[in-house]
Amino acid sequence: MGRNIAIKRFDPAIGKTADMFSAKEGRLSVVVEMLKSPWIARGSDLVHEHDAALGKRREEPVAVAWNALDRAPAAFEWHARDYPVEQVIQVWAIELYWWDLRRRVSRRCWRVLARGGTYDLAYDRLERRWLLLGEQD
Amino acid sequence: MPPGFVHLHVHSRFSFGDGACDMDDLIARSAELGMSALALTDHQGLYGALRFYRKAREAGIKAIIGAEVVVEAAGLLGEEADLPPEQRLHLPAPVGFGRAAGAGWHLTLLVRDIVGYRNLCRLLSRAHVRSGDAPSIVSIRDLGRLSEGLIALSGCPRGEIGAAVLAGEPARARSALERLRGCFAPGDLYVELVHTLTPDSPRYIAGLASLAQSCGVPIVATNNVHYVRPEEFRIHDVLASAGARMELPGPYERPNAELYLKSAGQMRALFAHYPHACDATLEIAERCDLDLGLGQFHFPAAEVPHGETPYSVLSKLSWRGLEQRYRPVTPEAVRRLQHELAIIQDLGFPEYFLIVKEIVDFARSRGIRYSGRGSAGDSIVTHVLGITDADPIRHDLLFERFLNPERRQMPDIDVDFDSARRDEVIAFIYDRFGHDHVAMVATVNTMTARSAVRTVARAFGYPIATVNALSRHLPWVSARKIREVLDTYPECRDHPLHDRRHDLLLELAEQLDHCPMHLGTHLGGFIITREPIDTWTPLQWAAKGVVVSQYDKDDIEALGLVKMDILGLRIHSAISDAVEMARARVGEAAIIEPFELTPDDPHVYEMLQRADTVGMFQLESSGQRNLSQRLQATRFEDIIAQISLFRPGPLEAEMITPFIRRRHGLEPVVVPHPDMERPLRDSYGVIVYQEQVLLVSQAVAGFDLAEADSLRRAMTKGRSREEMARIREHFIERAVGRGVALEVAEEVFRQLEGFAAYGFNKAHAACFAVVSYASAWLKTYYPAEFAAAIMNNEPMGFYTPRHVLNDARAHGIEMLTPHVNESQATYTVGGNGTAIRVGLKDLHRMTARLLDVIPAEAQVRPFRDLADFLRRTNAEPGPAESLIRVGALDGLGTTELGRPPTRDEMLALLPELKAVIRREGNAGDDVLCLAPAPTQPAEDLSHPSGWAPARRLSAELEFLGLSLTCHPLDLAADDLAARGVTSARELRNLPDGTRVTVCGVRERAQTPRTRSGKRTCFLTLEDPTGLLDAVVFEDTLNRVGGVIVKHRCYLVTGKLQNNTERGVAIIASDVQPYIVRTASGSLVRLRRGVPSGPMGPSLGGAGAPEEESWENTDYSSSARSSG
Repeated sequence: MGRNIAIKRFDPAIGKTADMFSAKEGRLSVVVEMLKSPWIARGSDLVHEHDAALGKRREEPVAVAWNALDRAPAAFEWHARDYPVEQVIQVWAIELYWWDLRRRVSRRCWRVLARGGTYDLAYDRLERRWLLLGEQD
Repeated sequence: MPPGFVHLHVHSRFSFGDGACDMDDLIARSAELGMSALALTDHQGLYGALRFYRKAREAGIKAIIGAEVVVEAAGLLGEEADLPPEQRLHLPAPVGFGRAAGAGWHLTLLVRDIVGYRNLCRLLSRAHVRSGDAPSIVSIRDLGRLSEGLIALSGCPRGEIGAAVLAGEPARARSALERLRGCFAPGDLYVELVHTLTPDSPRYIAGLASLAQSCGVPIVATNNVHYVRPEEFRIHDVLASAGARMELPGPYERPNAELYLKSAGQMRALFAHYPHACDATLEIAERCDLDLGLGQFHFPAAEVPHGETPYSVLSKLSWRGLEQRYRPVTPEAVRRLQHELAIIQDLGFPEYFLIVKEIVDFARSRGIRYSGRGSAGDSIVTHVLGITDADPIRHDLLFERFLNPERRQMPDIDVDFDSARRDEVIAFIYDRFGHDHVAMVATVNTMTARSAVRTVARAFGYPIATVNALSRHLPWVSARKIREVLDTYPECRDHPLHDRRHDLLLELAEQLDHCPMHLGTHLGGFIITREPIDTWTPLQWAAKGVVVSQYDKDDIEALGLVKMDILGLRIHSAISDAVEMARARVGEAAIIEPFELTPDDPHVYEMLQRADTVGMFQLESSGQRNLSQRLQATRFEDIIAQISLFRPGPLEAEMITPFIRRRHGLEPVVVPHPDMERPLRDSYGVIVYQEQVLLVSQAVAGFDLAEADSLRRAMTKGRSREEMARIREHFIERAVGRGVALEVAEEVFRQLEGFAAYGFNKAHAACFAVVSYASAWLKTYYPAEFAAAIMNNEPMGFYTPRHVLNDARAHGIEMLTPHVNESQATYTVGGNGTAIRVGLKDLHRMTARLLDVIPAEAQVRPFRDLADFLRRTNAEPGPAESLIRVGALDGLGTTELGRPPTRDEMLALLPELKAVIRREGNAGDDVLCLAPAPTQPAEDLSHPSGWAPARRLSAELEFLGLSLTCHPLDLAADDLAARGVTSARELRNLPDGTRVTVCGVRERAQTPRTRSGKRTCFLTLEDPTGLLDAVVFEDTLNRVGGVIVKHRCYLVTGKLQNNTERGVAIIASDVQPYIVRTASGSLVRLRRGVPSGPMGPSLGGAGAPEEESWENTDYSSSARSSG
């Protein structure tokens, strides 16, 4: 029994709870679909104090290993710890205030699942660096 | 080969504010991406559809025409406002151009076939034209009735279904989808999925896909393309902001740059979970198969009696006309008419000629002056039908130049009508053909340097003063050339755009080059169709209140529809007015119709030889005056030559110099082959006219005229070296075959090759020459009436109204200042043709009401004094002040001193009198005794105004834009004499090469590019004795360009050029500003300080306010950091 199979189901035939997934692979697709749901807040969107319990908005440089084949992050290193990307949940792009150097934002963002949490990574095209924009357990 | 993809939702720049795709680039990029088909779906119209259709097909891409229309809500039974607030959807910002703009839900419509095309045109027209001033929205009812042949995509996130899904209102989305499905045939409605790579995109797509599946509606993927490449999103934002008159980011606030033309691979990757949505694009493209049948002609129905055909009617009318035009009828004329009628019949054009004849017959019957022009003058049929006036046989005009039987192209007969009465002709066309069959042609106005800079600066949110400062003084060049202009033009040396802070602005402005800015209305182009016009072209209201097609003239021509140019020509109005005034003075019978004059009056030609041509049609510009002196016209053919020679083509080919030298015997007339002598006899062996190219080809190589015209066209259009070699070989082979020596044939071809691209259409010049001669004749014999008529029809011609009157004064005509007891609204002639009384219409602040009231009251009883005037006209203080300042009340009334009040005294009295009248009403005693307020002592009591000439002149220039008292430089005569200044009149008597200094007020400054690519400024100045021309070459211009731009009056020093070959001009070596002061030191203000009369600056005619120099504007304080 590990994290991968920690989701339980109640089996009325035996009157007990049992693991819903027998392996990590089976669990992942369901989790990804659930994470795509609109009621899941993005860490990168959280700006208010009262949202803090849901996760954190950050803007910290991180080192990212790039998977050129899938054109997506393969892993990132944050606080001296490796986070292999298990699944890319969503991709989005941001281009704002291009006419104003001080406010300009040009990023491509990936929401990834890693080590049981979701993380919003962004490549900043202006500064040419990777950022961790948010995290959520 | 990987599976493909077709973009079915694409906005070009013809979405006016919500699309940045350049049409050529869009097609080129699609071809590069290997796309087999491409759609164009601009907002609310088909503005760019025809050119897209043609260009895409040329590039081998299947063109799918469509539009993204705004429709009313389909998922609601009532109004949006009836819903509880939490269920209401946020209506998208309005889209579309001008009065075709509408705010509603977006729906993408694609044309499947010709039925769909006609339905889409009709659908758009009904929405736009019926809406009037209300926002233009397609109703669900119309959608249901006119959906045949159309495929609908449910739209972008601004469609009702998409918006409802995004807002979490699935029931509304379902309801809208069900209702829209009912409007279209099964399988013709698709749910459109757009993946814009925003955080909401997965949810949006999943929601739509799920809805589509549950309703059994297929899905299709699009990218809602708004720009070709990702980096162009900035231009899109700029256009969107400018279109909505907002600052960046504009009305749409799109969060990224993903709406670009993605490759099939990119699109399929985006929709990896919905491959069938991508497959659907290919299916739709396959189903869309529109053939517009380009190359066919569609003429409106002419009136043909029962038992006749259009040809038989045309033929009868032509033979009847021949008898009237040619007395006696000659065998040559008969042969020519037979020949032309046969070709017209073969080409199937008789109806077109009959329709034009109907229109000109109407004008003639109402006494509306008109004249045909252009290559239509090459036809004897148009001549005998009364459409054109120049005799094609007498002037060697060739029908094949007009209608080439080898090339079946829509004939184009342009007719100019008296501009004052053009509306009557237009009303006739609408009545005759029906309002459902007539519309005006659109023009697409595109951005140039100035407008591009303004567009970007406004999007950046700069204050209007900064926008003006940044765009002012940029010349009329393409936006691509802004940097070149800033680097090379002396007048732009200190331009604020040099500031590095504006680099981004410049970069974006350059990219806006040639971008469609807005849809205008063609000056006089009307489309007339046999079927209802809204089955051919979408219609909408133009800003000026007429129904206009969304297509421009090229699109209309491509569709094969008839476009008639009903153009207004102000010289026609002026000629009619002058004739009427002259007939009123000397009698009706004393003046024959000027267009029917025999053009052989020596007095008229003497005037032309003196270059005394101000006001004459086509002959008055500074270049033409110079040519007049050199050419020394003595017959009508010379006028035709003069009009033809001063054109870009002949000028570029430098035809003038050999023409003039040979005419005056300075070089021999030689032609390579004796058969060229006859065709070139009128132009001394120089190929000036396009018709001569045909005649020479016929004479030397034995081409028939149709073949020769095809040769001319092939030589004219950008031909490749290989093609030219082929044409050359063919020509020489034919010539040699007729016994012409090889070297002679080669020389003839060399000359044809050199001149064919530059020759001018002689028929066009001949038609104009008839009008030119009529205007010259009127100026010769009725100068006062002619000048007054020009003033009444301003703005027209080359010169300012001020100079037109100064020129009349130079001809001995007295200028009478406007006066409330004497003046009409318009300029009138008095003193038995020796004086012009200035009208009131150009006076600053004058109102249309006063223009009626003042002459009417003066007719009842002359105004006695200022109080009488104010009481009877109830003139507002503004116009009353203007009238006093220009002397229109001079001499009225008597003061205690036993003399009329001065202008200062009247100005002081004005507020008091107005107060008394306001208090006591108009009906009181007409004697008002008021002690005048203390005023400054009169400057000059010898004049009833009490003002010195300088002050009177300044007021005239300021309030009328005219110099009536005298020429401004008359007041500085002593100073100019002391400086040794030579007058314009004296120049002609000085020898060539004399070093002179002249002084003049600027009339015109033109800076065309010369053949060498260098800039030369042609300055036309005016001094009290007439006009003088100065040429400022580039090296001098680099020094003095700023002076020319920033000042109005100059001292020009240079070498006089005075010879037959080059005419009279000063080659300037220095240009200095000259400030006009009187001997007593009073300054004369030369700029008109106020806008013109009741018609406003654009129509008033007496000159718009001058722009001030950019030096006065502080742009830097408001400039925005842009990188």
